[in-house]
Amino acid sequence: MLSKVASFALNGLEGVPVEVETDINKGMVSYDLVGLPDTAVKESKERVTSAIKNSRFLFPVNKITINLAPADIKKEGSQYDLPLAVSILIASGQLDCKTDFVFLGELALDGSLRPVTGILPVLISARNKGFKKFVIPYSNANEASYIEGTEVYALKNLADAVSFLKGEGCFQPVTHRSFVAKRAETSYNCDMSLVRGQRTAKRALEIAVAGGHNILLAGPPGTGKTMLARCIPTIMPDMTFDEALEVTKIHSVAGELNDEGIVTLRPFRTPHHTATAVSLCGGGSRRILPGEISKADRGVLFLDELPEYTRHALEALRQPLEDKVITVTRSGAAVTFPADFILCASMNPCPCGNYGSSYSECSCTPAQIRKYRSKISGPLLDRIDLHVEVDGVRYEELAGESNEESSSAVKARVERARSIQRERFLEDSISVNAGMGERQIKKYCRLSAECEMILKNAFENLHLSARARSRIIKVARTIADLAFSESIQPEHILEAVSYRSADLK
Amino acid sequence: MYTKDEENFIILSSVEEISDAVKRALVFKCADTERQDIEKFLIKTLSYGVYNTVKEKLSDGAYRSRILSGLEKRGITCVACFSESYPDILRHIDRPPLLLYCKGNVSLLKTNCFAVVGSRKSTANALALCRKISSELTAAFTVVSGIADGADTAALSGALLSGKAISVTASGFDNIYPSVNVSLAREISEKGLLVSEYPPHMRASKYNFPVRNRIIAGLSKGVLVASAGEKSGALITAECASEYGRDVFAFPYSPHIASGAGCNSLIKNGAYLTENILDIFSAFGLDLKRRGNCTELSALEKAVLGEISKTDGVLLSAVADSLGKQTYEIIPVLTALEIKGLAVRLGGNRYGAV
Repeated sequence: MLSKVASFALNGLEGVPVEVETDINKGMVSYDLVGLPDTAVKESKERVTSAIKNSRFLFPVNKITINLAPADIKKEGSQYDLPLAVSILIASGQLDCKTDFVFLGELALDGSLRPVTGILPVLISARNKGFKKFVIPYSNANEASYIEGTEVYALKNLADAVSFLKGEGCFQPVTHRSFVAKRAETSYNCDMSLVRGQRTAKRALEIAVAGGHNILLAGPPGTGKTMLARCIPTIMPDMTFDEALEVTKIHSVAGELNDEGIVTLRPFRTPHHTATAVSLCGGGSRRILPGEISKADRGVLFLDELPEYTRHALEALRQPLEDKVITVTRSGAAVTFPADFILCASMNPCPCGNYGSSYSECSCTPAQIRKYRSKISGPLLDRIDLHVEVDGVRYEELAGESNEESSSAVKARVERARSIQRERFLEDSISVNAGMGERQIKKYCRLSAECEMILKNAFENLHLSARARSRIIKVARTIADLAFSESIQPEHILEAVSYRSADLK
Repeated sequence: MYTKDEENFIILSSVEEISDAVKRALVFKCADTERQDIEKFLIKTLSYGVYNTVKEKLSDGAYRSRILSGLEKRGITCVACFSESYPDILRHIDRPPLLLYCKGNVSLLKTNCFAVVGSRKSTANALALCRKISSELTAAFTVVSGIADGADTAALSGALLSGKAISVTASGFDNIYPSVNVSLAREISEKGLLVSEYPPHMRASKYNFPVRNRIIAGLSKGVLVASAGEKSGALITAECASEYGRDVFAFPYSPHIASGAGCNSLIKNGAYLTENILDIFSAFGLDLKRRGNCTELSALEKAVLGEISKTDGVLLSAVADSLGKQTYEIIPVLTALEIKGLAVRLGGNRYGAV
């Protein structure tokens, strides 16, 4: 007898419908699984056999042929266990039903259902393709609960699935949850008020977040660079549902989703400096998985000790920094992941780390410092709008009780500046100042004669590179937005100039 | 454009087989003897083989034109110690350089020179002061320095604003060391003057630097040491200067700054303590009004400048605190002062007045 059951494969963040066809015939006892299964899918035979047996059903002793259609795309992962088992049970006549459910789930040997990765993106693309009803593992229920317009049943084991399909027992679909309620609980571990001093750097962070600028923090070790970076998500505007969904999709595919089922906090990713270009950008030999830059989507990618990363890895960041997406291409497929993040990098000012420090003297020669800084290529630095020094003061040196501004106060200002930008860029495809190209700079950042003069003097007297010009203007635009100023004033340009790269000339 | 003597001497100098001492003896013979005597002298002092090479080269037209055109192609003018354009002040030092390879404005050699030298490792505010004093010095002097990183670069870039800058290199012009300063060397040769005792192909070796320092001191009426560690090469220049009877000036430093220990010991030994250009000019009896500060400053700018002048390296947030302002109100002011050349960044958000 022949049976057909629906399931889904994942290609990047897109779900592709897969039909599991099982045909059981008389003949030599065999189990043939065709349709480009990978090892995890092939091994499903053993899990399915045991799960069926241990759920008190009979595994048919016949010639079993299973086809995963379409036959020409590779099937990977363990989510086919459940559809395989169901399809075998139907084909062998132990379960008599025609089903329009989509099945996803890994089976344990005792028949219980284990969670699988990528439920959210599958659900979303399946819904968009017209599939409405799903059976998924119980542990994935939270993840599925935010998708509207679906009927999802989260079940604990194969026996439940069978009785559910037979219409026995009482099973409720997963109740839909609203995102807003979830967001109210949002909280981060750090807060701006916990960072003492460092007002210059805090101001720079505010500008960076307000305008979506990338930022480089330079300072001696132990001055709180990492702590400052960790505060960035806390002053970013709250994620909208669409943003949260996008982030959750990525984290779901990467298998890094927690029990919450949806990501409400902005991601903060800190790949170690030994990270390879592939681990940053995404890739992999089997399924193409998102890399750190995609996992940092809508959040912050923090690269501590920037010069320590391999040149290869850093150069790979250039294109996604520009395009806000990354297309990972392998011989089999090309997958596009979003990568819209704020890059926050930190570095020591010189190899010994003490340049500009109050407590120890720098022992580096100018040549050494130049060599150290030249490890970061010019094109990459060009994509980092703000170069900021942190105060060369040890944390303990700072006077005890000072009144520090909390993240929520900064966040309020950031949100105001962002709304000004949203209005400005209604007709453009960008949403923040950092995204402006030359054309938009010309349109939205007209400089008065006085500002032009200041900029010219700054370039002459401070030896700025010509490439810094558009960076400075973009940052000045954001500073003006923070100050509710329609036009860019001299003080905005001057402040923007101060966030240039500190060169040694 | 060269005289016969000069041309012969340029060719002779290009022969590496002849030692410096022989060339030196030769030059002083040249001044008052006949050509035949020179031949006799050469026969006496040189080995037979070397004598033959020299003679061959001197009379080999192809060799002569190759050497001369090579120098011309590079834009190098040679100034021999008996030439018209050779500075007198340099003639009177011990072992004056016999032949100077010059690139740029040769007339600067005979102007009043003042050396500004220092260590490669210098604090940012010393560098800023060095640059400022050098540019002010050009009102009365041509600034002479080496071409190293740090203080030399600062001095030259300050003096180059008016083009009155001489850099004496310790290597030939084809091998400027350090290589990051190749572009600076080009700028000097265009606006100022690049000088070397060594032919263009000569590489820098560590023995050449102290030898070169005697030229810097010899050319100058005084030497300012902007920064010097305990064993800095700048101290050699200062030593030469006092040997030649030139005045030595030095910036004072706080005792815990390593890059200032040499300066402080110079002051202990009688060098002029130098805080600004007036200290130098008054030592020479020059009455020059201090330039700068003529730019108009706003009240806030003046207040900020006052704050950062108080101590060395004031934290930006400290300035804001003592003026009762927010940091973002102070940042533009400091940048404006920086553009005007009145403030300097010292790293770690510290600022100093220049």
